[in-house]
Amino acid sequence: MKLKLYADRMSQPSRAVLIFCRVNGIDFEEVKVDISKRQQLTPEFAEINPMKKVPAIVDGRFKLFESHAILQYLASAFPGVADHWYPADLFKRAKINSVLDWHHSNLRRGAAPLVLNKALAPALGLPLNPKAAAEAEIILSASLAKIESFWLKGNGRFLLGSLQPSIADLSLVCEIMQLEVLDDEVRARILGPHKKVIKWIDDTRNATQPHFDEMHAILFKAKEKLLKMHSDAGSDQTESSRKPALPSKI
Amino acid sequence: MKLKLFVDRLSQPCRAILIFCKMNKIEFVEVRIELSKGEQLSPEFKEINPMQKVPAMKVDERFRLFESHAILRFLAGAFPGVADHWYPADLFKRAEIDSVLDWHHANLRHGSAGLVFHSKLARLSGRPLDLRAAADCEKVLSASLAKIESVWLKEEGQFLLGNSKPSIADLSLVCETMQLEALDEKDRKRLLDPHEKVRKWMDDTRNATQPYFDEIHGVLFQVKDKLKEMESDE
Repeated sequence: MKLKLYADRMSQPSRAVLIFCRVNGIDFEEVKVDISKRQQLTPEFAEINPMKKVPAIVDGRFKLFESHAILQYLASAFPGVADHWYPADLFKRAKINSVLDWHHSNLRRGAAPLVLNKALAPALGLPLNPKAAAEAEIILSASLAKIESFWLKGNGRFLLGSLQPSIADLSLVCEIMQLEVLDDEVRARILGPHKKVIKWIDDTRNATQPHFDEMHAILFKAKEKLLKMHSDAGSDQTESSRKPALPSKI
Repeated sequence: MKLKLFVDRLSQPCRAILIFCKMNKIEFVEVRIELSKGEQLSPEFKEINPMQKVPAMKVDERFRLFESHAILRFLAGAFPGVADHWYPADLFKRAEIDSVLDWHHANLRHGSAGLVFHSKLARLSGRPLDLRAAADCEKVLSASLAKIESVWLKEEGQFLLGNSKPSIADLSLVCETMQLEALDEKDRKRLLDPHEKVRKWMDDTRNATQPYFDEIHGVLFQVKDKLKEMESDE
């Protein structure tokens, strides 16, 4: 029975797992769970993951959720996964675990709510929240600074000075890629100061092509739709009636 | 391997590591970093952990590590004689424990630690309370306790994931819920009373790790008295 991966490519951790499987030749069936259509809230999906989130996997009878746990499991369970993704060496592995742990309350906690509250919320039928976005941006900027000054120290191009990417690189870079849906000037303002981060994103992308671009294509489509929404709203508001912009489902 | 642990017993993740080491007879030197005095912000400690947080550890004066879950996993793998149930070698059991540990950060930890800090412990370091933030965190805490009851605790087994013996996930999460001792008794009861399974699980985890559990948590009860004093002075 093939591995089943329940994912939405708009979800950062879903993309990390998808890319990991592709790069490592892990055979799987991608089951799309469309968050914008609230498919994660169906009773059928609750059987897969009672926390009602993506990504989740089913491997035979074994079900698992939480992307880091999934990545750690897949790295160990499937033959042919190169050691650098999640090294067997206890010391190297521990360091990768510490980045993955740090991520939850730092990069993820900054980047995800910023993009949601500043851009993506209407696609999910939610209102934008500039205050929450501003608070999230502070956490994001602090996190990017920590990646620049600490996690990217060393000889290699990847986190922890590694010469090859690990599951930590995949997880964190997929998170930062979500910023693509923001206005270019906003994205440039946030990322611009961090030259090492920008290079690292590129290196991780290059190391996982063509799968990286394929899994991220949806983000660029989402960006186009958002731009179109804004410009439609702009042209509406030149009318004297000043209709408010209606949120549309992407 | 010479192990140094940089900890404050008032910190939930620190307690989990201390109890784990004592249970498994892992020798270590405990270096106290007192958060209420801002000691985590010293330049010396920044050398140990540039994120300026506890817990942190150092092995043989050369290998440094922070983030309590990474530390617990490392210790379980690095020291002989650690029983398998703490962090099983079986890939499936291990993955399930990993998923609880991951879930913890943005759920139980975020809710519980935030509530207790913003409504009580901030005073200890002379910081102002933030009751609005505390209220937000309380919502996350209540939702998390409900999830522990409905998803993580099963019919069989006393511990998380239906296990009959505790894992590092039980230690991490129970040390977090113990922080609620710092709240007023009525608030603590209000939050925990609805969750009978959670209360039993906390008890089971405590019993499975005595006498170290009570020893390491002693500081929490001292702080509770100190907070009462501070509040009655106002």
